[in-house]
Amino acid sequence: MRKLLPALLLVCACAFAENPRTLAIRNAKVVTVSGPVLAKATVVVRDGLIEAVGEAAPIPAGAWIIDGEGMTVYPGLIDSLSTVGIPSLAAPPAGRGGRAPTTVAPPPTPAPGPATTPAPTPPVRGPEDRPATTSWLLAADEIDPSDHRIESVRSAGFTTTVTFPARGIFGGQGSILDLAAVEHPGDMVVVPAVGLYIAVSRPGAGFGSTAGFPGALMGYIAYIRQVYLDAEHYKLVREAYARSPRGMERPPYDRALEGVLASKRVLLPANRLVEMDRMLRFAAELKQPAILYGMREAYRPEAAPLLKKYGAPVLVSLHWSEPPRDPDPEAYRTMRSLEDIDQGPAAPALLRKAGVPFAFYSDGLDQPRELQRAVKKAIDAGLARQDAIRALTLSPAEFYGVADRLGSIEAGKIANLVVTKGELFDDHTEIQMIFVDGKQYKPAPEPPPGAGHGAAEEPGVSQ
Amino acid sequence: MKLAGLLIGCALAAAAAANNSVLIRGADVYPVSSAPLRSVSILVLDGKIAEIGPKVVAPKGVRMVDGRGLRVYPGMIDSATELGLSEIPSVRETVDTGDLGEFMPQLRALASVNPASEHFPVARIAGVTGAIVVPATLETGGRPGAAARQYLSGQAALIRTFGWSWEDMAVVAPAAICVRFPTLGPAGGRGGPVPDFIAGMMGQAGAETYTQMMRTYQQELAKLTDFFDQARRYQKAKAANLPGLARDLKYEAMLPVLDGKIPLAVEAAMPRAIHDAIQFADKQNVKIVVMRPREFGGAAAELKARNIPVILGPVLALPRGQDEPYDEAFTLPAEAYKAGIQFAFASFDNQFVRNLPYQAATAVAFGLPQDEALKAITINPAQIWGAGEQLGSVEKDKSADLVLTTGDLLEIQTQVKHVFIRGQEIELTSKQTRLYDKYLNRP
Amino acid sequence: MSRPWILWLAALAPLCAQNIVIQNATIMTVTKGTLQGSVAIKDGKIAEIGEKVMMPFHATVIDAGGQYVIPGIIDCHSHIAVDGNINEATVAVSSMVDIKDVINPEDIAIYRALAGGVTTANILHGSANPIGGRTIVLKMRWGKDAEGLIFEGAVPGIKFALGENPKRPGNPPLLRGFTPAFPARYPATRMGVEDTIREAFNQAKAYKAEWDEYAAKVARGESPIPPRRDLKLEALKEVLEGRRYVHAHCYEADEILMLLRVADDYGFKVRTLQHVLEGYKVAPQIAASGAGASTFSDWWAYKFEAYDAIAYNAALMHKAGIVVSLNSDDAELMRHLNTEAAKAMKYGGLSEDEALAMVTINPAKQLGIDNRVGSIEPGKDGDLVIYDKNPLSDYAKVQKVFIDGRLYFDRDSDIAGRPAKALEKQKLIDKEKQSQPKPAAGRRPVE
Repeated sequence: MRKLLPALLLVCACAFAENPRTLAIRNAKVVTVSGPVLAKATVVVRDGLIEAVGEAAPIPAGAWIIDGEGMTVYPGLIDSLSTVGIPSLAAPPAGRGGRAPTTVAPPPTPAPGPATTPAPTPPVRGPEDRPATTSWLLAADEIDPSDHRIESVRSAGFTTTVTFPARGIFGGQGSILDLAAVEHPGDMVVVPAVGLYIAVSRPGAGFGSTAGFPGALMGYIAYIRQVYLDAEHYKLVREAYARSPRGMERPPYDRALEGVLASKRVLLPANRLVEMDRMLRFAAELKQPAILYGMREAYRPEAAPLLKKYGAPVLVSLHWSEPPRDPDPEAYRTMRSLEDIDQGPAAPALLRKAGVPFAFYSDGLDQPRELQRAVKKAIDAGLARQDAIRALTLSPAEFYGVADRLGSIEAGKIANLVVTKGELFDDHTEIQMIFVDGKQYKPAPEPPPGAGHGAAEEPGVSQ
Repeated sequence: MKLAGLLIGCALAAAAAANNSVLIRGADVYPVSSAPLRSVSILVLDGKIAEIGPKVVAPKGVRMVDGRGLRVYPGMIDSATELGLSEIPSVRETVDTGDLGEFMPQLRALASVNPASEHFPVARIAGVTGAIVVPATLETGGRPGAAARQYLSGQAALIRTFGWSWEDMAVVAPAAICVRFPTLGPAGGRGGPVPDFIAGMMGQAGAETYTQMMRTYQQELAKLTDFFDQARRYQKAKAANLPGLARDLKYEAMLPVLDGKIPLAVEAAMPRAIHDAIQFADKQNVKIVVMRPREFGGAAAELKARNIPVILGPVLALPRGQDEPYDEAFTLPAEAYKAGIQFAFASFDNQFVRNLPYQAATAVAFGLPQDEALKAITINPAQIWGAGEQLGSVEKDKSADLVLTTGDLLEIQTQVKHVFIRGQEIELTSKQTRLYDKYLNRP
Repeated sequence: MSRPWILWLAALAPLCAQNIVIQNATIMTVTKGTLQGSVAIKDGKIAEIGEKVMMPFHATVIDAGGQYVIPGIIDCHSHIAVDGNINEATVAVSSMVDIKDVINPEDIAIYRALAGGVTTANILHGSANPIGGRTIVLKMRWGKDAEGLIFEGAVPGIKFALGENPKRPGNPPLLRGFTPAFPARYPATRMGVEDTIREAFNQAKAYKAEWDEYAAKVARGESPIPPRRDLKLEALKEVLEGRRYVHAHCYEADEILMLLRVADDYGFKVRTLQHVLEGYKVAPQIAASGAGASTFSDWWAYKFEAYDAIAYNAALMHKAGIVVSLNSDDAELMRHLNTEAAKAMKYGGLSEDEALAMVTINPAKQLGIDNRVGSIEPGKDGDLVIYDKNPLSDYAKVQKVFIDGRLYFDRDSDIAGRPAKALEKQKLIDKEKQSQPKPAAGRRPVE
């Protein structure tokens, strides 16, 4: 009984006490990403930031010391295109390593908070009705910290997601979120607005549906083009009015155009080589810095030179093309689809070789095992592990302009870390702990095989 | 002697008056059943070919047609059409193919044929004198939005393209019972994924798994088999004259098939479907004709071994899959020929029946011997559909269904100069020629 | 080491491949008669035609003994090489959308069209709208990217549609079998189609006036804010200014005449009437308007508005002095436009050259590209097709196709390459099978 009490107190302390604001992981292998791998070093964290990294990093007095013997510390992984944090949204529809989503997902239920475009009645008459456009929205304003995917994805080693309100054509701007367990969603937001998510298809829309304009791909493109022309004109008029309003008819306020103007970059979908070419040209026409996402056919020899020519960074979907499950053995298979499956995972290595900047994104995968296997596939297909890691850390940070605070283990950066036993992405590697903004989290236990998505039996997260 | 002569004279005069006797003089004849004959004459009496030879003397009063510089071919037969059953596909009221119901072998295409359809003149002035009329929907292989799946669509009939009534036009009726045999995956065989916007329109949820497809397939096959079993029971009961046997129109319609008199016309595009259809026919001990195969594969040997004929769909068709050779459909007839399979061409259509010979020509360009192409639009369909004694070749005692042309029947530029059906000369006019004349001569 | 040599030669090949001599052939120039001889291509253009020709530098010589050479076929109505739906059917006027934005250079239909002798195609928006989307002319340069397919300098177009098709979305039950939930879209009648077109041009005129005023102000040295660019009306403004060709899908005589009169009223020209199956009924009016007619050879009766279609349409319109072309509107039919042309000889008694013109120089004239293609004349693009027999025979097969003097299709190479392609595909299929768990069901028996 005597021995139990202190133990109990200790447990309570651990369960309820505030995580120490100063900690040091000692004697671990540290993969900084921005520099060489340190075989045996210490990472010091204070007040949510990395204070020091090095073999002889000084440990502050009173710091909670974590023995990192036999472990490896990596920067927390960044999912460069996600909807985690907005529970009502399924994975971003376009870009899934597969076909256009017109038949796959049911229309997403409207998110709580700002009104999204409902099923239109009366039908959309044309671009002037701004169909499926909520460009003024920020993901940061829709965050629900109770999204069960947060824990699941964090348990896979992701400390950060770039979450987008991926719905409609102009869903809104994405926000960089640290996956911390907090009460106030605002506490998760690292950067509130990082760019517009643009889609060129909608589930359930198209010929014969009630959704209205646009129905065809060319309709989407024409609409997007018109919006940007309108935004340019709107800006001209607004600026002229601001300079000298006297005698000039006042321009109306158009929040959709305000949203478009406020964005510093756009994300455009491209899976096939033809789509990459199309979107790169389109982005150049719109004069918008663009990031392409999807990249299913990036393995093709023409892809890398094309991407290099335009210098656009790309987000490669981790949802590799898979062979159909239980297919009719005599169903027709096109050569292209076979190649997608066979060579898809080799794309990152080829991009790396050609010097095309790329990052990975989860594309709907939110189970740790799925994510680990997906990255491993790329490594097995020739991508160096360090390049895989960079594609999930410093590269996305660079694309979104936050490389000064995320993406590597350097003094001054946010303390987002993943600690593993074994090399990250290997099959038997176990993630020991995750740090988000300097707070420690334990990975949730794996759901038993056959269980539903992320429904963990016990709360496995420590404060 | 004198009396006999008088009687013969009267008969001949009567024949001449009936206008289905004619002497075609000095033409190059392509009998199909034998080698071509240069500069011979054909005597047609009472609608039948009486004599073919270099010096044929016509009885008095028989009309003469100058065949010099012309060729005589048997009238062509199109082995799958909707002639008379469908006028304008986009206007539903004018379409009488593809009714509802799972098992409808009792539906008779023949009695719904409208002899006044504008399609008939267009077809016959092109030299198509015979056609199979099919009760099923040919274009889409099924009515869009049809509730139940249909297994048996009804009775196809072989008709002539001219007649005062459908009775008049009938040659073989029923000629076959049309079956939409269960298949794994799409029956049409057009490979490749359905474009998303079409899939969206049709509300497809996405590809089924093999297990699901197999389950559905087995269920459908069981249903079809069950129906045949019932039909057999009915057949036995009827043969045994069981008292109180209620007349069942559906099973009655099955009797000619079960008795082996007429075949099932089964649509099967791919080797596996063809194989399955053959197995079914074996088990049920019925004859089949395979409609619109797109690939033979291993099934070729099975078809040949059982002498199962096939009806080839349009030769001018796209390959069934993205990666297939561009001439896949063009070379299929040659393939059938090399495999020893008897086949006939069909348009599976109405508006393109007149282009039947040009389909055959493409097959020749891509490897089919010329003679075989000609057979596939004349004697082969005649034999396949049970009219081999009457139609399909220019031979003595056969029906005088003939077409006279300025040249090679299969060449587009060839003009048709005369068409005879049962010895009667067909007026070479149609809605189209009338409109042409009207506007050509517009003041 | 012979390898580097081969690579060096291969590097030169693209240059030299544009110098070709096709000799010993029957050359059907279409515009300047038929002759036995040779045609020389230099730097991608036809240099010389004659019994004997001068050999350009480093030319590849092709002996086409017994074979026929014609100009590359031009299909004036096609929907191939398009990603996504060819119709933006959700609105009645969709002139803001552009086929140019959705070109799919990897559509196998391009290759298959080549194999049928087509070298240029007018890629159109569908016919679901009275005023449809913008259109583009492409060369079938299989292997190039989207930009590389575009026929440089060809005037862009726009698709109009009259008759049954554009009214269908106004009458959902007419969309047989398709979703009846589609909300009815005006217009639902031919009257409404006319009104829709007139109204659109009404707005376009006002839009044009706005821009003309702006241009005038700028010319006077002012710096006004430009008007808002409206893509929908901009395309129609271009029509009014003659800078965008109108290709109008139409069937019945009444609607053909209607559009010609609307065009007169608004001061624009209809460049081509497409399908125009009853064109023979209003041939004099069409001829007077200067519009070209691009029609089917023998399609009829598939719709009520096609019930009076006759195979003699092309011949009758041709006789009335209209520039007539035969088109396909179909990825399969476009593979044998040569035989479609032959039908104009059968139905209407046209000559070989007249018939062939309907798929070569006539569509070229209609598309305003006849200075570049459509006949075998010196100075024109090296777009040629070699057939093994007279192309107006339905026994003829395409052997080789050149575009800009470069070989884009070769039947022998195509056939020779098939085993390797099939093998490569089988390898991938086998590889995938091996990496998969054994399927649950074995070969199932047929009971």
